[in-house]
Amino acid sequence: MKNKILNIKNLSKSYGAFKVTDEIAIDLNFDEIHALIGPNGAGKSTLIKQIVGSVKHDIGSIVLDQEDITDLNDVERAKIGISRTFQVSSIIPKFSALDNIILSLLDKSKETFQLFKSIRKNKGLDAKAKKILREIELSDKSNILASELSHGDRRKLEVGLALAMDPKVFLFDEPMAGLDESGTKMMINLFKKIKTNSPILLIEHDMDAVFALADRVSVINYGKIVATGTVDQIRSNVLVRDVYLGYEI
Amino acid sequence: MIIEKFFNKWIMFFLILIPTCGVIFDEPYFITLATKVVILGIAGIGLNLALGYCGLISLGHAAFFGIGGYVTGILSFHALNDEVLFSWPLAVSGSSEMLIIWPIAILVSALFSFIIGLLSLRTSGVYFIMITLAFAQMLYFFSISWPNYGGEDGLSIYMRNSFPMVNTMDPLSFYMISLFWLLFSIFISLRLINSPFGMSFQAIKQNEERVKSVGIETFKVKLLVFVISGTITGLAGSLYTDLNRFVSPTVLDWHTSGEIMVFVILGGMARLYGPLVGAAFFIALEQTLGSYTENWQFWLGLILILVILYARSGILGLFDKKLKHEK
Repeated sequence: MKNKILNIKNLSKSYGAFKVTDEIAIDLNFDEIHALIGPNGAGKSTLIKQIVGSVKHDIGSIVLDQEDITDLNDVERAKIGISRTFQVSSIIPKFSALDNIILSLLDKSKETFQLFKSIRKNKGLDAKAKKILREIELSDKSNILASELSHGDRRKLEVGLALAMDPKVFLFDEPMAGLDESGTKMMINLFKKIKTNSPILLIEHDMDAVFALADRVSVINYGKIVATGTVDQIRSNVLVRDVYLGYEI
Repeated sequence: MIIEKFFNKWIMFFLILIPTCGVIFDEPYFITLATKVVILGIAGIGLNLALGYCGLISLGHAAFFGIGGYVTGILSFHALNDEVLFSWPLAVSGSSEMLIIWPIAILVSALFSFIIGLLSLRTSGVYFIMITLAFAQMLYFFSISWPNYGGEDGLSIYMRNSFPMVNTMDPLSFYMISLFWLLFSIFISLRLINSPFGMSFQAIKQNEERVKSVGIETFKVKLLVFVISGTITGLAGSLYTDLNRFVSPTVLDWHTSGEIMVFVILGGMARLYGPLVGAAFFIALEQTLGSYTENWQFWLGLILILVILYARSGILGLFDKKLKHEK
């Protein structure tokens, strides 16, 4: 228990008779990337939404860093250290890439309610944001409106927004979707680097990326975790192959 | 944006030019009209913070405009009649001093904005529109049925409230006072929209879920914007009562909320000077078309439809575009 930063027990959510997540138990260790894979509609993104608090679960508990966060709302969970990316890019379209990152830095630096201080004169925030843009290789696009960025760059920016929060855990929902080869490579290297500070629960369909990154993999199907293990264990699991409809992993 | 700043300087030039012409040609009516534009512009600048920058579609800003107006009216009414406003727990009398009335009008408007915002902001979209409208209408009907302060007939204060060493009955002097508050409102808005707080509420307008996900308490941010917005509009209401030396339930009516919204949309939402341009355009239409037909608002409606269909950035946005194409 002590080396678990995130511990989810018995998490269930139903819409009428349809169980989206069914007694999910999953945990995340310090220094770990735990990948969550499964077919479309298996309940991966709904699970993420329940962890971040944007979807209220019916039963179950969520413990973050030995603190029960089950009853906290989404903003409170973000404040205490859960940072996420969205399955479909969710950015502030009319803000530049730099301003998107600065927005993400505001709460941590307790600047949100600074009413009359110019944001442009805040060198500290500016420097931190530029550092993050360098990490996600978007320095050259810092002043471009987020809505004008390519799909791949928006995915990078999403990860940058999560990084800026300096959270306890990252929940990344398909961060590599739409990235080209170099973008994926950059992301893999970045995730390897950041997991030592903040472990990552990763939902990803790019199996090469998952196998390159994950310390553990859980497979979800019809809202249930059907297998958890190391990459090798998951590769050789017959049930997992069935879940993926014969897809050889 | 640079072109818009250039245009804004022209607006300031006109704000000086028009009353100057009024003085030169001895036409105090021009000055009164310009004062009306300035005051309604302040009301619009207030709403613009909530509507234009934060995406809060409030159809209840007449409540704050009216509260500011009635606070001014009631205080000066009691001062004029030498009656106490209330006697428990302390005996408080009215006042005809602007320097006393303004802070009270500001505080009361802020308090009502806080209460209305606290309840309304639990909803969103069409429900938010309806609940803000409902609050304003409640106050409207309350004012109609409040005989102590004129009920449906309204409340006359005969003399403008006083300001040290200034003859407030002089149209130019009162214009300058109103202009000061306009510049102050613009200054406050400018500082706010360029602050970290401003960044938060402008982001909320675009993607509230994302803003929440980075740990920003969007409810608190929206509430504070709503309070600041309502307070600025309340201040405008206070000045409007002094301009007309009269306040009536009309200022609380939903038509007033609609008009303030029209100023913002016409001039350009989320544009600093947009509401002022919108108010000027509105008053100019009222004065020109109104002299030909009683139904001038038909033409206003037509123009509003055209603006919404073809110039979503309002008049300022249109002007901005034209200049860009000419370049």
